[in-house]
Amino acid sequence: MGLLRDWNYVERAVQIPALSEVIREALIRALFVRDDRVLPADLIGDLNRVPRVTVKVKDDGEVRKLVRVLNGEESTVSLGLNAEDYHYFRTQLGVGRTREFGLVPRPRALLTYDWIVPEQRGVQLDFSAYGAIEFAGDGHRAIAQVGATWKQLYDDALSKGHAVPFVPTVPLDFAVGDGLFGDAPFASFRGDFGTYVNGLRTISPYGHRARIGFEEVANNGTAYDLLHATLPLAAEFFVPVEVALRLEAKPANRKTLTYSFEDGPKLSAALDRLSRSGPGIGWVHVTDAVAAKTLRPAVPPEAFTVQLSLAATATGLAAREKAVDAAMAGFKSKGAETPSPFEVPAAAYRKTAEAVGRSVFVGEVRIPAKLLGDFIGKVRAFGDQSSARAGVYASLRDTGIASAFPSFAAPKDRDKVYDLSKGVRTIVSGTPGAAFTSRLAHLWEEEPGFLRRMALLRSLKLEIDAAHVVQPLIAP
Amino acid sequence: MANLDYAYRRLLNTLGPERVARSEFERMVYSHDFASVPKIALLQWRLYPDFVALPKTSEEVSALVKLSDESLLPITPRGGGTGWYGGSVPNRGGVLFDMRRMNRVVGLDPDGRTVTAEAGVTWKELEDHVESKGFALRTVPLNAIGSTVGGAINSASVGFGGLRGGSLRDSVANLEVILPDGSLLKTAAAADAGGQLADLTPLFLGAEGTLGIITKAVLRLVPKPEVTKPVTYGFAEPAAAARYLKGIVDAGLAPYHAALIDRDHFVFERALRPDSPDPVDLALVAVQGSKDEVSDQEKTLDALAKEYSGTKLPPTVGEGLWRERYNNYSARRLSRGLTISYNLVPLRRLPEAVETALRLRDKLKLNGSVQAHLVDTTTAALQPYVLMDDTKPSGGTALGFVKRMGDAAFKLGGHSMGLGLFLVFNLRKMHGNATGAYSAVKGVFDPRKKINGGKTFEVWTKYPWPGIRAIPPPGMAIGLEVAALLRRAKPTRDRFVRTYEASKGG
Repeated sequence: MGLLRDWNYVERAVQIPALSEVIREALIRALFVRDDRVLPADLIGDLNRVPRVTVKVKDDGEVRKLVRVLNGEESTVSLGLNAEDYHYFRTQLGVGRTREFGLVPRPRALLTYDWIVPEQRGVQLDFSAYGAIEFAGDGHRAIAQVGATWKQLYDDALSKGHAVPFVPTVPLDFAVGDGLFGDAPFASFRGDFGTYVNGLRTISPYGHRARIGFEEVANNGTAYDLLHATLPLAAEFFVPVEVALRLEAKPANRKTLTYSFEDGPKLSAALDRLSRSGPGIGWVHVTDAVAAKTLRPAVPPEAFTVQLSLAATATGLAAREKAVDAAMAGFKSKGAETPSPFEVPAAAYRKTAEAVGRSVFVGEVRIPAKLLGDFIGKVRAFGDQSSARAGVYASLRDTGIASAFPSFAAPKDRDKVYDLSKGVRTIVSGTPGAAFTSRLAHLWEEEPGFLRRMALLRSLKLEIDAAHVVQPLIAP
Repeated sequence: MANLDYAYRRLLNTLGPERVARSEFERMVYSHDFASVPKIALLQWRLYPDFVALPKTSEEVSALVKLSDESLLPITPRGGGTGWYGGSVPNRGGVLFDMRRMNRVVGLDPDGRTVTAEAGVTWKELEDHVESKGFALRTVPLNAIGSTVGGAINSASVGFGGLRGGSLRDSVANLEVILPDGSLLKTAAAADAGGQLADLTPLFLGAEGTLGIITKAVLRLVPKPEVTKPVTYGFAEPAAAARYLKGIVDAGLAPYHAALIDRDHFVFERALRPDSPDPVDLALVAVQGSKDEVSDQEKTLDALAKEYSGTKLPPTVGEGLWRERYNNYSARRLSRGLTISYNLVPLRRLPEAVETALRLRDKLKLNGSVQAHLVDTTTAALQPYVLMDDTKPSGGTALGFVKRMGDAAFKLGGHSMGLGLFLVFNLRKMHGNATGAYSAVKGVFDPRKKINGGKTFEVWTKYPWPGIRAIPPPGMAIGLEVAALLRRAKPTRDRFVRTYEASKGG
C-alpha cells in the first residue's frame, strides 16, 4: 500500500499557514474529496495532476531504462522509442523542464480507493503483461512476476504439487504485486503475506537490479530485515518486479469444511477456540449473510458462514476434523459440499470477483476474534443508518486476531467512502484491541509514537530513493 | 574523549558501584562471545571494554546512552554472549551494556496471547514462565539456556518451532528500544495491526544492536500443546538423514522440530559422558498435539523413515536428546574452545550442503560435527561446529572453516548468518546491489555511529588514525582465507578425542 507520499503531503499541508487553522481531520477530508471550497487552487492542482504516460511492462530491462531516464542518468533517447512515441513521451512528461518525475506501479485490482496525491505527471507502470510464474523443480517455491494473478499462481501451484498457503480475504482478481503496491489482503491462518515472501527482485532507484531478501531461503541473520519492514510500502523504496514466494507441499488429504452460525456471540466464541486449535488449518474465511450472498449466490445465505481448509495425514484427517468440530461448537449446521470461493475455475472466480468488487470497501480492521461477531453487528447497524447495506468478509489468524473487511452497497464517490471510513473508525475506536489500518486511518492517526515511526520511514525512503524517482515525495 | 576516570564516576553516579565493573578480569570475560577468538585479534581491536555497565531499567539504559554524548565512549550492547560473530564484543573498548540484569517477565496477557519480557530474560526462563501459565513460545532459539530475548532478536535467530510457529519475526509483536539519542521507541502499534501502522519491528530483527538497544519485547504465544514427543531415526549417513528432513516437508508434515545430528557429535559426547547415546547419524523429530494427533504423526514419520531407509531408535534416545536440547556444545570442554558456522541453505540442497560441510571439515583436518534443522518449507539451518584450542598458535586457524563454510552456503543459494565484527565481508555477498539500502538504515537511526559502530557494514580497528581506522571488509575475508590455507597445510589433524581420531584414521 503506497502511503508515504500521501502522509508526507498531509504532514506538510498542515504546516501551511493558510491551512493551519483547519483541523487536521477536516484537511484530510478536503484533500480526499478534493474540496475546492477549502483548499487553495495549488493544492487542487496537485491532486488533479495524474501520470501522463503509462508504460506496459514486458521486461524488467525496460523498467531499468525508464528509471535511469527518470533519475536523469540517461536521456530519453536510450529508451529506443520510435519517433512518434518518442515525441509523445517527451511532450507528455514535459522533458527538458526543471521538474522531477517519478514512477508508480499500477495495481491490477484495488480493494479500497486510490491514492490521494497521484504521481505528478510521471510514468505509471502497468504490469498486466508481466505475469509469468516460475516454479522450482525440486522445492516448494515460486518466483512470480508482479503482474501474475493470485488465481493463476494458486491454480498452477496445485497442478505442480505445491500449495499456495495465502488467499485473499476479499476475493478480488488481484495480482501478486497488489500485495506490494496495492491493498490485496492476502493472508493464511498462520501468517500474513510477508510470512510467505522470501525476497523481492526489484529495480533500485538507480536502475540496478537489486534483490531484497533471498530467493530460496529466509533472511535471518543478514542485518536488518529490510524486506519485511518495507513490504507494505515496497514500491515506495524500489520498483518490485518479481516476488520469491515460499509455498508448501500440496497436502495429500485436504477438506474444505463449512459451518454456519445463527448469532454473533456463538461465532466469536467458536473462532476464538478455533484460533487455539492446533495445526492443519490452511485458511479460515468468515462471511456474514450479505457477503455470503455475493460470494455464493446459489447457496441460501446463513447469518454467519465460516469456511476453512483442513489438511492432515489420511488417518489424521478425521481426528483433526473432530477437533475442529469441537472448537466450532455452537454451529447451526456443517457441511463439506459448499465450494471454496478460491477453488472454483478461473472464469467463475473472476465473475465472483467482479460482483464482490461492486461494493465499497474502506479497508482492514484487525480485531480480536472473540469480538468479531459483535463488530459485524455494529458495522451492519452503521450501514443501515448510512443507507449503505453492510457486509463483512474476514479471515482468522492463529494469533486470535481476525482481519475484517467491511463492505457497503453504496456509490463509489469519495464523499461517501470518506464518511463510511469515518464511521468504521468510530466503531473501531470503541472496540478494545482493534485497529483500523486503512490508508485514511494512517493519515488520521496522530499518536506521537506512530508519527515518529512514520518520520523514520520517510527518512529511510529519502536515503534509499535519494534520486527521487520511486513515487517521489512531494510537498504542497 | 572524556577522561576515563571521569566517565567512570559518571557511570557510578548513574548505576551505583555494584553495577559498574572495570576490573581486568570482568572486562576480559566480555572480550569474546561464544566463539573462541584467537589472541592475535587483540592486535586489531580493543576487545576489552573500558567499563561494563549492568542497567536494570529502560530509564537507566536511556541515561547511559545519553551519557555517552558526554564521554564519547562507544557503546556495545550484549545479551547472553551466545553469538559467534563478534556482534556483542567491543572493537574500541568503551562501555559494554550487559543487559542480563533486565531479566523480568513483565506480564502475560492470556487474552491477547502475548508475553512482555525484558531483553535480558533468557529464552529458557521465559519458556518455563509461559508454560507454567498454559502457553508456549512459538519459536525458541537453539541455545535457549544462555540466549537472551534481546540477543536472539538482534541476531534474528532460528531454532525450535520455526516450521510450525513461523520465524522469530512472526513471533515478535512489538519492541521497546532505546535509540541512540536516548529516546524510547515502541516499534509497532499497541494493537496487532498486522505490519501496518508503520511497523518498524523487522528492522531490529538481525540488527545486531546497531540501531538501538532493545529493552523489552512483546512476543506472541500459542496454547501449550497437550503432548510433545521426540522420536529419533538412525541413518547410514548424514546426507540420508538430510534427505529424510526434506521428505518431511515434501509430505506436507509440520512437526515442531526436525533436525539431523551426525555421529561425530555423539563421539564427543561419549568422551565426556559415557551414558551418551551410541554414535549414529540420526534425525530427531519432535511432534506436538493431542495424544491422538501425536500418535498419528509418529506413525506417518515412521513410515516415511522406512522409505528413506531409516531405523527407529529406542525412545530413550529421543527423550534424552530432547531433555538436553538446549545444551548442545559441551564438546568445547574437550578442546578449550569451539566455533560454529551458522548458515541457511535451501532445503532442497540440504543433503549436498551436509556433504560439503563434512568434506570441508575433513579437508581442514578439524574435529567437528555437522548439524542441521528445518527452518521453514524452503529453508534449512546448517550449523556445523568444529573444536579449536585457541591457546595454541594453530587454534585460530580453525576460524578458516567458518569462512569456507559460509562461502559454500552462498554457492548453494543460501547465506551465512551474522555479520558482527568478523563476517562483515559477507554483507555484499548477501545483498549485492541492495547493500547500500541496508547501510542507509544505520544512517537513519544512528548517523553518529554511537551504538555498536564499526560493525555489520564496516570494520573499525582500534586505531583512531586515518588510513588504518577501518579496514576494508574483504581484508577480513583474506585473513580468514589465509587461516584456512594454513589449516590445510597443517600436517596433522587436531587430536582432542582418541575415538574420534581412530574413526577418522588418525
